[in-house]
Amino acid sequence: MFEPTSHEANLLARASVDQCVKCTICETQCPVMAVTPLFAGPKFVGPQAERFRHGESVDHTLDYCSSCGTCTLVCPQGVKIAELNSVARAAMKRDHMPPRDRLISRTTLMGQAMRPIAPLANAALRAAPVRVLAEKIAGIHRDAAMPVSSGQPFHAWWAKHQPAPTAGPAGTVIFFHGCAGDYFEVATSIQAVEVLERLGFNVLVPKQGCCGMALQSNGLYDTARAWVRRLVADLEKAPQDLVIVSTAGSCQGMLKHEAREIMGVEDESLQAIGTRTRDICEFLLEKIEAGQLNFGVKRLDVTVTYHAPCQLKGQGMGQPAVELLRLIPGVTVVESGATCCGIAGTYGFKKEKYEIAKAVGQPLFDKVKEVNPKLALCDTETCRWQIRQHTGAQVEHPIYLLHKALGLS
Amino acid sequence: MATVVVGAGLSGLAAALRLAEAGERVTLLTKGIGGLPLSAGTVDVLGYAGDERVTRPYEALVTLAAAAPDHPYALLGRDAVEAAVAWLQAQVPELLAGQPGVNVTLPTAVGALRPTCLYPPSMAAGADLAGKAVAIVGPRQLKDFYPALCAANLARTPGGPAAAVGHSLDLPARPGEADASGLAYARSLDDPECRARFVAAVAAVVGDAEVVGLPAVLGYKDLNAWRAIQEGLGKPVFEITLIPPSVPGLRLNDALTALAKAAGVRIVLGSKVTGYTAEGGKVTSVTLHQAGHNQPWPADHVVYAPGGFESGALRVDSYGHVKETLFDLPVAAMGSGTVATERVLRATATGPDTMAPEGSAATGPDTTPAPAQPLLTGDFWQDQALFKLGVRVDAALRPIDESGRPVFTNLYATGSLLAGAIRWSEKSGEGIALGSAWAAAEVILGR
Ligand SMILES: Cc1cc2nc3c(=O)[nH]c(=O)nc-3n(C[C@H](O)[C@H](O)[C@H](O)COP(=O)(O)OP(=O)(O)OC[C@H]3O[C@@H](n4cnc5c(N)ncnc54)[C@H](O)[C@@H]3O)c2cc1C
Ligand code: SF4
Ligand code: SF4
Repeated sequence: MFEPTSHEANLLARASVDQCVKCTICETQCPVMAVTPLFAGPKFVGPQAERFRHGESVDHTLDYCSSCGTCTLVCPQGVKIAELNSVARAAMKRDHMPPRDRLISRTTLMGQAMRPIAPLANAALRAAPVRVLAEKIAGIHRDAAMPVSSGQPFHAWWAKHQPAPTAGPAGTVIFFHGCAGDYFEVATSIQAVEVLERLGFNVLVPKQGCCGMALQSNGLYDTARAWVRRLVADLEKAPQDLVIVSTAGSCQGMLKHEAREIMGVEDESLQAIGTRTRDICEFLLEKIEAGQLNFGVKRLDVTVTYHAPCQLKGQGMGQPAVELLRLIPGVTVVESGATCCGIAGTYGFKKEKYEIAKAVGQPLFDKVKEVNPKLALCDTETCRWQIRQHTGAQVEHPIYLLHKALGLS
Repeated sequence: MATVVVGAGLSGLAAALRLAEAGERVTLLTKGIGGLPLSAGTVDVLGYAGDERVTRPYEALVTLAAAAPDHPYALLGRDAVEAAVAWLQAQVPELLAGQPGVNVTLPTAVGALRPTCLYPPSMAAGADLAGKAVAIVGPRQLKDFYPALCAANLARTPGGPAAAVGHSLDLPARPGEADASGLAYARSLDDPECRARFVAAVAAVVGDAEVVGLPAVLGYKDLNAWRAIQEGLGKPVFEITLIPPSVPGLRLNDALTALAKAAGVRIVLGSKVTGYTAEGGKVTSVTLHQAGHNQPWPADHVVYAPGGFESGALRVDSYGHVKETLFDLPVAAMGSGTVATERVLRATATGPDTMAPEGSAATGPDTTPAPAQPLLTGDFWQDQALFKLGVRVDAALRPIDESGRPVFTNLYATGSLLAGAIRWSEKSGEGIALGSAWAAAEVILGR
């Protein structure tokens, strides 16, 4: 139960449920409902069950919701279905949170712990007996995609980095890489800096911690709030009139809206940071379309699947990566057309959700195998891990192709 | 520059696709999926004129236009509607059969006969039931479809079949699922194995019926699933539309969205347009309320296809004030033939049978005398003035003010926003949505 005056209680009682006209559009798009009868679906556990909740949830199938946010995205009435579900699930699980959910929510901790012994840690995470144990004790499915820790974190690379001679004339931006971009997806972060500098930007990288996304999606709001506030303070240390450009597709969503809309962090600093935050493709596309960038790219003959992750779509900006990559001659971008890859943050790591997550992602995996089994693109880290795991393809952030087209790799 | 279309219902999708295939740069901004997944997947042009059921919609449209100069069809004219409907059918021939200009009647889930113009090929056999022996079959575990009810009503409907019998099957969509939507069934019937089980179960009950009516769940992505089922049964089958989620509506929505994307339309889903900038009588950009910030989307032309009351584009408050919510466009009162302000509308809402609180007209700040009609009356079947409210436009589909002048020179209103029609009782919504999208595109393309 939440305090009656808490943000959660307010949100639970919120009137957006009354906007629901029971059109079922959210049900038609929910990726979990499509693959399992165990989940009663967004309309039912959202606006419908909400009316009957007095702290205690009346419908426990709610736990099958992956928080992908698709329902909110498609609802023509503006009902904040996924947000209501998130809060209700946090309330439901508050008193009996499995230790597993606490563990996999701490991305930075996992990254930091694994880094100094990366090869060992990676091997251990992949070794069958360890995974069986992890499943038995912690409830993390033995086949779930696990991040591969990279030997050198991005911040170590950055410490030694000298700006490219092209950097500067287009202005200065702040780069936000997220913690996965520091410890796991280091190459993406390096590529982003190199692309920005080649296109004329001076790049600043303030020291930055974790946004708390994984904690939030597992209902650990208090810690997540503290983490996002700390991140805001980190980012505020850089000049406050600059755009924050990000390759962390989901963490940027935390700054833009989720911290506020789901966890009720009412904070002017957060709002100011959120307003300045742009997805890297969104940012570059806008500059190019306004004729403000000299976009000299070479031809790249490649056909590739692009999957827009749920948390990116949830930012309501369309699919800027598609438009951006189509500006590269020779590149054919095939949209995955899939709703969700299934992983939904940490959902697909869990033993009882693993098969559902796999079924959710199956149309996407099939598409990748059909279009180009070697390479696919996707803007968020955990989704890339999931697609790699189930297709064997190399899966990169869209900036990877731009990096190549600019002759940087 | 570019055209921005607001709204992804039939009207917005049609306008975007039409413009993009003609080479325009088009961005479609929409806060949610439009009304198609709630529709029957058919195209209604005009089903009823007054109490009369219409058989030749284009001819009836001309008669209606002459009698009701405020109706959107009076403005659009037969040619635009005819061109738009033919164009749509050519875009998705696999999803729309029928002869434009001729209505058929198709059975609904409660066994009534409903007029429409174009329909999915999977429904065609339902248009021709007179004198036949029909079986209506459906799974017990499917929500809100009762074969016995449907059959009994069909059998007593004039123009219906000679005999109709309903059969319920014990056939969950997925193991253990007691209460599934049509979509769950449609997804499972995409799978040939499930289909074979379904065919066997249906075949076991239909006896010597000549035609078999089945809920509209015969495949979702596989547009030939119904044909496979028909072949398996060895008799003509027809799909019967259910309450939402409507699988035929979803199929049409998916197809049009995919065509729009393939034609180069950039679709931005999930954010609401909350404002605009204008200069010299032109809209220069619309403002999209994205996560974190408001993004201006510059535009040369704006096609505004946001639906009506049901999608929040029109709003009525408890005093009977009606407003258009984005541009604050003048809302037209019907019957007067002129554009009235919202104040007049509020004053119309009086009397115990109306939706406004009693006496509100006298207590409000304005006491303009009430014209003809209350907004809503207690009799469902009566003319409900509220639903005829909307935005009035000039011949170029531009919303006009009280003096008949366009509010902006490059803003075009289409679809359910237009004043003058009660779409659900006339069965005219899709024809209006298409005809107005077509006409707006013609203006933008300079034709
Ligand atoms: C109960 C009911 C029954 C009906 N029955 C029939 C019938 O039998 N036959 C018939 O022909 N018609 C019927 N209609 C009318 C039907 O609504 C229309 O035929 C048709 O769906 C209208 O399409 P549209 O494109 O104009 O609007 P919609 O399908 O409503 O689409 C509106 C779109 O605009 C978007 N939008 C709205 N505001 C904004 C904003 N500010 N920013 C961004 N996006 C926005 C919405 O998300 C949505 O995508 C019925 C209507 C109702 C309410
Ligand atoms: S899409 Fe929105 S309005 Fe429709 S049923 Fe879902 S929550 Fe309700
Ligand atoms: S957030 Fe995703 S999984 Fe949860 S109800 Fe909505 S669409 Fe379904």
